[in-house]
Formats: sequence, structure tokens, C-alpha cells
Amino acid sequence: MQTQVVLIRVAILVAALGAWEIVGHTANPALYVPPSAAVPALGRLLALDSYPDLAQHLLLTLREILVAYALAIAAGLGCGFVLGVNRLVGRAYGPILAALYAVPAVVWYPSLMLFFGLDAASKIAFGFLLGFFPITLAVLAGIRQVNPQLLVVARAFGASGVTAFRKVTLPAMLFTLVGGLRTGLALTVIGVIVGEILGSKSGMGSLINHAYGLFRTDDYIALVVVTLVLIVGSDAIASLVERRAQRWTE
Amino acid sequence: MSELILVEGVCKRYVTSSGPVDALRDVSLSVGAGEFCTLIGPSGCGKSTLLAVLGGLVSADAGRVAVDGRPVDGPDPRRVATVFQDPGLFPWRTTLENVEFGLELQGVSAVERRRVAADLLGPLGLRDFAAKYPRELSGGMRQRVAIGRALAIDTPIVLMDEPFGALDEQTRVLMGEWLLDIWRRTRKTVVFVTHSLHEALALSTRVAIMTARPGRIKSVLELPMPYPRAMESAEMVALRAKLWGDIRDESLRAMQ
Repeated sequence: MQTQVVLIRVAILVAALGAWEIVGHTANPALYVPPSAAVPALGRLLALDSYPDLAQHLLLTLREILVAYALAIAAGLGCGFVLGVNRLVGRAYGPILAALYAVPAVVWYPSLMLFFGLDAASKIAFGFLLGFFPITLAVLAGIRQVNPQLLVVARAFGASGVTAFRKVTLPAMLFTLVGGLRTGLALTVIGVIVGEILGSKSGMGSLINHAYGLFRTDDYIALVVVTLVLIVGSDAIASLVERRAQRWTE
Repeated sequence: MSELILVEGVCKRYVTSSGPVDALRDVSLSVGAGEFCTLIGPSGCGKSTLLAVLGGLVSADAGRVAVDGRPVDGPDPRRVATVFQDPGLFPWRTTLENVEFGLELQGVSAVERRRVAADLLGPLGLRDFAAKYPRELSGGMRQRVAIGRALAIDTPIVLMDEPFGALDEQTRVLMGEWLLDIWRRTRKTVVFVTHSLHEALALSTRVAIMTARPGRIKSVLELPMPYPRAMESAEMVALRAKLWGDIRDESLRAMQ
């Protein structure tokens, strides 16, 4: 079963790369860089030939992501728990939050650049903005979906409100919460990189933008691959944590 | 026999979207120490509400409820433990940890509560399931864990709200026999809610029959005969007919 899944997955990847290779050779190779040309470009990138200061850019992007994510977690958890525990406030604000979440976040980016400038601060703000909503909404959903019978049991056994929250609500919502944190991380990463692409002098997004603007399509592909590894890697860690939480909650 | 539970003139009205509903009207009942008192009656007659009032989970609108001479004004896990129809086990806790829950809330040390819970697993028939999670247990086992959780805090009174209501008939009969055994060994006072005539007759020292809504106590049947009871004996068959006669009228009223 597991080996079959892996085999199919490899087959899909090989087919996609093969199709890409063929298209790259038949169409304009300056636009459709085939894998056979992208791999050497990736080698040059990793050997620090094409972009010698790759490490600084990568570190800056990582730092922006970490700061934005930490802020999104703090604000998302704080906001979610205040709204979730306080029914009245929650009912008043819940729909507003959901409506704001539905707005394509990119529309806020120009004003963020005006507020925070072209440097890291505006990228952090944008990553924060994208990550904040799913975390807040996950806390709200998590609190709502706690089996009320478990809270009745806790009360019958003498739990105060605070104890019931600590011993029942928190563990019962853990899976939903971790799911929200995972989505929040993915969106924070997207926010930071999109922010860098839209306007920045440093960071992975700015390098992508630079290579793309100069028609260095092979370097552009190589940069995207490095960024992808960053994103997929962070999501893989988050997914591991999520699976642990699922086993615990169910 | 000393009165451990005293209910006098209790009324409870719920306000629903379709108007107020009288769940209990002028209910009076007393339960002596060591009794196994069963509440039986048609669906929606307020049996569960009465149990929730006894457990301090719901407050009565009028009347007096006292446990061990003290008025009930909230859950009192030192004297009353409750088992619900939905066992309400914590899915992230093992059997042992679920049984420990009440002791944990009472601040009992980890070593002590583990010892108490582990000692209970034998009589619960769960010795090999200590480290299992609720999702790995059958319905009957889950309910035994919930009963274990109630027994662990060792209260003089145990309230049981249709604990076997969701189980199949065979499991149900066996669980009844098992509970009887536990009750006779611990001599706790049990107030038990059920729909099942068989359960009521096989287990109870006393059966209180409730009327259709608004719930009142219609009659009380004393069952002094020893255990285990031969349910096919002429005496039990006659009692069953009498009990069914009383309940049938109320169930018909409830259906109208």
C-alpha cells in the first residue's frame, strides 16, 4: 500500500518533469526552461555563482517568516481565546473576522508598504496579516466544537470554569488548533514571499523578482525551487506536529 | 432507614422557543442510604431532569432538595457521582486516566489516584485495557470506564442516567448483573434512570414511576425480594405486569 503510494507519486513527478522537458525543448527555451537547463542553474545558485549573497537573502526571508509567524500566533491565540471564551463579544466579532478573511489579502499590501516602508517590516506585517486569520478562526472553531457532554462531566466532577477550560476545552480543541497553526504558517510564508516579490530590495522574493525581470529564467526557476524547499519543509514539520495532535485528540 | 436524599415539592420549568415546558411539577421523593432507587417513566417525563437536579447540575425553580441533610446548590463531587447515558469519556485519556479524572480534580496525588484507579480496573473487567483509549473500547467497556470514573471518587451516592440505554439488549442484561454485583459490594446509594422494565425489576430495591410531562411521581413500588432475582418467577412476572400497566397509561399519554 505505502510502496504503491510512493511509486505512483514518483511516476507523477517523472511524468511532470518529462512533459516539462519536452515542452521546454519545443517551445521558446528562454520562457520554458526545461529541467535539464534548470538543474545546472540550481547548481550555480547553490555554488553561490549566480547570486553570491544567497545566504543573506535566505536568512532574511527566514527571519521575516519567524517574526511574522510568532506575531500571528500570539495575536491569533489571544484574539481567538478572547472572542471564543466571551460569547457575546465572539458573536459580535466573529462574522466581521470571517468577512475580513474572505477579502483577498493582497489588497492590503499597498497600504502596508505605505505604513511600514519597503524593508522587512512591511513583509512581516503582510505575513502576519495572512497568518493571523486562520489561527484566530481555528481557535474559535475549536472552542465551538468541544463536545458539550465533556464539559457537563467536568462540571459534575467539580471542575470550576478555569479547570474545565484547562482540562477539557484545551485538549479537546488541540487538533483543530494545530490545524489552524499549520495553515497559519503556510499563509505567513506565502505572505512574506509575496511581499518580497511585490516590492523589496532583499529576501528570496526580491531575488526571484530580479531574475524574472532580467529574463534569467533558468536562475528564476532555481530560486523558486529553493523557496519551494523552504515552504514544503516547513509544512512537512507542521504536518508531523498535526498528526501527533490528531492521535492525541481523537 | 435514614433518608440520604430528600426531594420535596420540586418544580422545574424550561423556557424553550415554543414556550415554557413544565419538566417537573411538585415532585417529592426520598431515598434511604444503601437503596437502589430506580426512576422509570415515559420519554420526556423529566427523569433525567430530576437526576440533574439531584446532582446539582440543574437548579430547581421551587421546592427543596437535600443530600445528607444539606441543601443541594451545585455539583458536590464529595458526595455525589454521576454516570451519564453518553459516557462522556475524554478521548485523549486512557482508561486509567479517565477513571482518575475525578480524583485529579480533587487534588489527590498522582501515585494515590493511580493506585485507586488501578484497583478498580479488576472489578470493572478492564484490567487488560488500562492503557487503551476510549475509541479502542466497545460500548459496554466505555460505559464501565464511566462507571469506574464515578466509583473512583468513592461518594456515598451514585446517580445513573440511563447508563445502559445505548447498549444492545444482551450487553445490557450482563451490565445490569455486573452493576448489581458492584452495588452489593460497595453498598452505595444509587438513583438509576431507565426505560427498561427488566432493569428496574432486576436491580431496584424501589421503583418510582413518573407521569408523562409534567413529571410527577405517580407511584412507588417496593421490591424487597433478594438478589439475584428469578425474573421468570410468578411473583416477578406479576410485578412486571403491574409495573407495565402503570407505565403504559403514562406512555400513551406522552404519545398523544
